[in-house]
Amino acid sequence: MTQQISQPTTKRFTFRTLILLLIPIVLLAGVIALFLSTGGGLDLDSPAPVENLAVENYVLERNEIHLHVRNTGPEELTVATVIINEAIMPFTVTPDPTIPRLGSAEIHINYAWSEGEAYGITVFTSNAIPFAVDIPVAFETPQPSARTFWAFTLIGLYVGVIPVFLGIFWFPALRQLGRRTMTFLMAATAGLLIFLGLDTLAEALEVAAEVPSAFQGIGLIGIGAVATFLLLDAISRRQTAITGSETDRRLAVAMMIAIGIGFHNLGEGLAIGAAYNVGEIALGTFLVVGFIIQNITEGLGIIAPVLRDRPSLGRLALMGLIGGAPAILGAWIGGYTPSPFLAVLFLAIGTGAIFEVVYEIAKLIQKDTAREAMPMTVFSGVLTGMLLLWVTGLLIK
Amino acid sequence: MKPLSRRDFLKVGGLAFLGTAGATALTQNNQNHRTEEPHKVHSSHVMQQGDHGDLPGTVGEVDHEKNGFDPTEILTDFDYGEVSTLPNGQTLREYRIVALNKNIEVLPGIEFPAWTYNGRIPGPTIRATEGDRIRIQFSNGSNHPHSIHFHGFHPGEMDGVPGTGPGGLVEPGGSFTYEFDAEPFGLHLYHCHVFPLARHIAKGLYGAFIVDPKEGRPAVDREMVMVMNGIDIDFDDANDFYAVNGIPFHYQNHPIQIRVGETIRIYLVNILEFDLLNSFHLHANFFHYYPTGTSLVPSEFTDTIIQGQAQRGILEFSYKYPGMYMFHAHVTEFAELGWNGMFEVMA
Repeated sequence: MTQQISQPTTKRFTFRTLILLLIPIVLLAGVIALFLSTGGGLDLDSPAPVENLAVENYVLERNEIHLHVRNTGPEELTVATVIINEAIMPFTVTPDPTIPRLGSAEIHINYAWSEGEAYGITVFTSNAIPFAVDIPVAFETPQPSARTFWAFTLIGLYVGVIPVFLGIFWFPALRQLGRRTMTFLMAATAGLLIFLGLDTLAEALEVAAEVPSAFQGIGLIGIGAVATFLLLDAISRRQTAITGSETDRRLAVAMMIAIGIGFHNLGEGLAIGAAYNVGEIALGTFLVVGFIIQNITEGLGIIAPVLRDRPSLGRLALMGLIGGAPAILGAWIGGYTPSPFLAVLFLAIGTGAIFEVVYEIAKLIQKDTAREAMPMTVFSGVLTGMLLLWVTGLLIK
Repeated sequence: MKPLSRRDFLKVGGLAFLGTAGATALTQNNQNHRTEEPHKVHSSHVMQQGDHGDLPGTVGEVDHEKNGFDPTEILTDFDYGEVSTLPNGQTLREYRIVALNKNIEVLPGIEFPAWTYNGRIPGPTIRATEGDRIRIQFSNGSNHPHSIHFHGFHPGEMDGVPGTGPGGLVEPGGSFTYEFDAEPFGLHLYHCHVFPLARHIAKGLYGAFIVDPKEGRPAVDREMVMVMNGIDIDFDDANDFYAVNGIPFHYQNHPIQIRVGETIRIYLVNILEFDLLNSFHLHANFFHYYPTGTSLVPSEFTDTIIQGQAQRGILEFSYKYPGMYMFHAHVTEFAELGWNGMFEVMA
């Protein structure tokens, strides 16, 4: 009896299944073909062509302006005229003035721009649709060279690596603390990370506004953040299943915190590099100092889960590098090929990674609080972590 | 004010580093290097040396054949009409003008969906002698109502303004014959007067109307007509390009060739919409100026004149030396957006 029932329910992929799967797709193709040929009874012909040209970035060289543009409209378009500060200028386009959908091109103009002045550029397509880009402060765009490369490296070093390592140097001192204080520190780390995660998300949303609409910046944030969160969660569960040792588990969490902070710093490096390129520069030693103070907490966060263990020096150094060094990479990318698309993607990954790490820390804290209830410790820890960043931010900004 | 985000702070902080700790790493020979004191930034406003980049202008050529007109030809294209004599002995000049929608390539690669008289911008230069009978058979071949409003003396029903009779607004497919005596002598203009007026003019419905005095003007070697216009290519009620006789930069790309000592007379009309003023400046020379051309005595000897919309005047000059000489709007913004030309004066 049982056998008789189970027999027909056996799932097998047959030719018949394939046909059944294909029928709706074939029908869909038919509907689309019908719609395209007849218009489906709707008059959808646009009286004016819809075009969209995104100026992704600009490069200023002596007597030359280069615009990197991307066609983010539904159809191909042709660049026909370039106006700089109310003057029609001769120009060339490589590879071709006609840019296919989602294709990119570079517009070159020989223009004697002046250091420190502002320029407004309007690009007209052959359908007379204008697209504007502003150069708020003109100055020569840094070109990849040994010097600028080293400069960007130094920025990343200061922004990421040094503060993270300074935080890690607290390790010996913090090891002397009691269990309750360690739990407090873990909670504070969670608080720090929640603050950083929100900040990263806000920044991702901000940059997403600059991404050409065809690339759907907000959707990109969702994909990057959710995928990273679930991937890290899966890795963590697999590790727990393999080792089971709580020490290893805590070390894994510390490593993941380092990865999350690393992505965060990558995003910040991108922002700094890009800011340098477009001339959004204000200067002050005070701000660098403040910056190091604020980011030292990132190092603290990395070591919090492993305070009661004995991780090797090499392991600690590795975690410091993972947390801090991406700032250097970010500064290179942002400095040489600023791309809002990449920035959003990295910031989204950072958001997902950071919130996953908060989740991991929460699990560790839960283990501690299972042994000994300390609700106020967790509350005050998380709040302390968040307030720490908020207050240092308040002082610096 | 937008509060500073952590990212703003990072930009600031990161670059502070560039200005201080990174100073050695940054190029010392980089003339664009910014130092940490903001006031020094301002002292570095230096024009780029050496090659000063390209001059404003266009690359390539618009398709004059497809446009149906060439500004070089418009310059000396005076339409005296079909001439006959009326029973009373008066000279009759008959013209045919058709309003047409037409795409005009105004810059290489950019077409302007224009409204035109006889398919060109500006429309034909109507020329008659004071006292002649003018008869203009106007038909509207476009899909908007249009009219022709002439400046000069004429009866109200010939004024081409909505509300003055059938000639005030000619429906698509319709026609009307404007008829009046050409007076007073001078340099005038005509344009569509259907509302919205600014749009009907900006789209290209205008032309010059020259009434010569009975005894004529003193003879000159060359006469030219120049109608100063603007092109609002994206219909935002602001001009994007400026021109003389329709096509921006045409006489920069194709200098007007004249000879040393030749006497030149220019009939200059300003029909520029949206902008308050237009102007004409002649390089390395002075000209006699006859505002509206209604007097045979010049009012001014100058090298620059200003005209508001529909103002016009006659310029007379000759060149002493051979060479290339610019003429352009001394509203220099207009010059760099297309209203710039050259006289090539040959020995």
